[in-house]
Amino acid sequence: MFGKMLLRVLTRQKKKSLLIVLTVALGVSLATSMLNVMFDVGDKVNQELKAYGANLNIVPKGASFVSDMYQIDDNNQATPSQFIQEDELVKIKMIFWAYNIVDFAPYLSVTANIDDKPVKIVGTWFDKHLIIPTGDEIDTGMLAMKSWWQIDGSKMVDDNLHGAMMGETLAKKLNLKIGDEFTIVAPKTQQIITLTVNNIFHSGGIEDSEIYVSLPIAQKLADKVGLVERIEVSALTTPENELARRAAQDPNSLSRNEWDVWYCTAYISSIAYQLEEVMPSVRVKAIMQVAESEGAILQKTQLLMILLTILSLVCSALAISNLVTANVIERSAEIGLLKALGASNSAVAMLIICEILIIGFIGGVIGYFIGVGFAQIIGYTVFGSTIEPKILIIPLVGLMVLFITLLGSVPALRMMIFLKPIDVLHGR
Amino acid sequence: MLNKNRLFITKTLLSSLIRRRSRILVALLGTAIGATVLFGMVTLCYDIPRQMGKAFRSYGANIIFMPAGSHATIDLNLVNAATDLIPSTQRIGVTPFRYLAVRSNVVPYTLVGTDFQQITKTSPYWLIEGQFPSQDNEIMIGIDVANYAHLSIGDIMPIAGKSRQNDNFDQIFKIVGIVKTGKTEDSFIFVNFTKLESLLQEQNQAEVIELSISAPKEELQNYIAKVKLNFPSIEPHLIKWVTQSETQVLGKLSSLLYLVTSVVLILTMICVATTMMTVVIERRKEIGLKKALGAENRRIAKEFLAESLFLGFIGGLIGSLFGLLFAQVISREVFGSSIVFEFYLIPFTILISMLVTVVACLMPVKQAVEVEPALVLRGE
Repeated sequence: MFGKMLLRVLTRQKKKSLLIVLTVALGVSLATSMLNVMFDVGDKVNQELKAYGANLNIVPKGASFVSDMYQIDDNNQATPSQFIQEDELVKIKMIFWAYNIVDFAPYLSVTANIDDKPVKIVGTWFDKHLIIPTGDEIDTGMLAMKSWWQIDGSKMVDDNLHGAMMGETLAKKLNLKIGDEFTIVAPKTQQIITLTVNNIFHSGGIEDSEIYVSLPIAQKLADKVGLVERIEVSALTTPENELARRAAQDPNSLSRNEWDVWYCTAYISSIAYQLEEVMPSVRVKAIMQVAESEGAILQKTQLLMILLTILSLVCSALAISNLVTANVIERSAEIGLLKALGASNSAVAMLIICEILIIGFIGGVIGYFIGVGFAQIIGYTVFGSTIEPKILIIPLVGLMVLFITLLGSVPALRMMIFLKPIDVLHGR
Repeated sequence: MLNKNRLFITKTLLSSLIRRRSRILVALLGTAIGATVLFGMVTLCYDIPRQMGKAFRSYGANIIFMPAGSHATIDLNLVNAATDLIPSTQRIGVTPFRYLAVRSNVVPYTLVGTDFQQITKTSPYWLIEGQFPSQDNEIMIGIDVANYAHLSIGDIMPIAGKSRQNDNFDQIFKIVGIVKTGKTEDSFIFVNFTKLESLLQEQNQAEVIELSISAPKEELQNYIAKVKLNFPSIEPHLIKWVTQSETQVLGKLSSLLYLVTSVVLILTMICVATTMMTVVIERRKEIGLKKALGAENRRIAKEFLAESLFLGFIGGLIGSLFGLLFAQVISREVFGSSIVFEFYLIPFTILISMLVTVVACLMPVKQAVEVEPALVLRGE
């Protein structure tokens, strides 16, 4: 009997039920898409902020800052005294937070002569394919980290041992164009190398008067085979907090528990610490300009999204419960009739609640899929990648629908209990 | 008997009133929610890219001034005149730098004179242990200097060098702070700009000036062109690393906000419309009765139009207030500053919510008036 009545209510009032299903679906899809975007926005924005390039700088431990600063003193030759072994570079991808290392590139600079004028030549990896001992294969290099460089010409590759990327200012000074050849004289060995201009780039910084070549060429020029001078690393990090700041001062000041938490969180200081662990002869410096700002922007974006999500949750909740209330109130005549026929309050309440829940469930399921769709649209248009639908959202949204629909029917149920069948059946 | 009858009449009247009131409340709540979202989201959309732009200034200076041609320094009076071209609301900070090669216990260092108050604005990312020098005999050293010379806060450091007039000086300074940036600043020693001027015996000159301006790339480029034209002794440079990345990331964040806003708006508006429709659909009987009593279709439509206009107006007004409140709360929580909102958004919100309610009301009304009154009154 109960089932029959329920079915009849649902099928007879098709139009009204459809409207409620639609509203619930819209509300749920809003909640689902906002929750999905909110949970993923941190990762996505973090990825975007990689446009600012490296946030860690690896230098040899003993590198004396005095010689770095006064590199011009020594007959115009930059001669850093300490180096890092090129073989050690793969270890960067073998730390605990290896997956958070987005990119890295080594640099070796040497001052050589072009037409008897000293020019800074920097050897680096452009987009090198690396095989890590753990079995992973990655592509890493400078090009991905310098997103703000404006580069003309075909993409520079690491196997190109005759090509060079030349800074705009220098190219103008030397009057060279893409495809032109030029000769460099190595300072120590007096070796002569002929290179072709493969690209001309504009960086807006001092790099504009430098030449970038494949690492082996710079090593040959500097007579430092298998060595690099410094490494830039771009890592995805968690915004710093009090614990990270304390650890950055002195990791030994932490208690055992704090130390575990710090080590297993992708703070910039813990990544730096882990890099120093695997490469004992280096010092890892966090570039504060990038690291600190990243944290600030990430937190702001996340907070904004959380607040917007709460707002849309509240709105969809209000809209749904509002509609449910409206729907139940208008059916007072029907309820009055049921009561007049001898239905108990609890039976009528049961009927209403079951009906609302069924409608809510149908709307919720439809809404969930629409919401996931909306989240994907946002993910693709804004970030160009999918937004992973989180499983956690399903029970969250389910609970929300259950709670809201029940809450929405409370005023109606209260009214129903005090409803006198005679009043209602009489009309107005 | 009479008494009982009267009681019954008042009772039915009252219950009808109450029922009617709850329906109006439902409709009003629906439109108010819609208007709140509309007003709040549009206001946020309008203001947040600007506020985010300010947040991006934590990446530091986006323009630097360098002396043009063969000059070693720029006159600070010229710099002040040049920076006055920027509206003060966009000017976050202007920091002058002056460098001097010095020695301390025979080790060479670079002494940098700067304005620490401006540093906190142009380079908020500097990690400082201790504090900025406030007195003339105080200095702040880079972390590399501290590690190299085994110095810490509270230690003293003798510094010797030469002024522009080639007079030797040799003074003792007290270390009050250690700075860590991960870049070249780590190997410098910092002192008050005025102190360095007195050591150099030269006033109002700087080698580099860092500017942090809260403006999009195009405006910055315009500004640079203007400075180049009017101040030939200043060579302004855009720091591409900062501006390019900012444009890129800020663009993404703004489009995220726009998309989220449009999704929220569309869904809320449909929600409002469905609520209004439900409220109207249930009044089909009333429409049928009116028609049966001889009312014209137009007259019924007019009645509903007036009612929905009224609801839309009141709902829009309430919604605007709540929307402003909510935009203000978000702005305060996230950016710590008040929201800037446009007054014309209030009539705009009211207009839109009136439009939505009218459309949502008239659609079911139109359907209802076309049906034979007898059918409606019978039930189905």
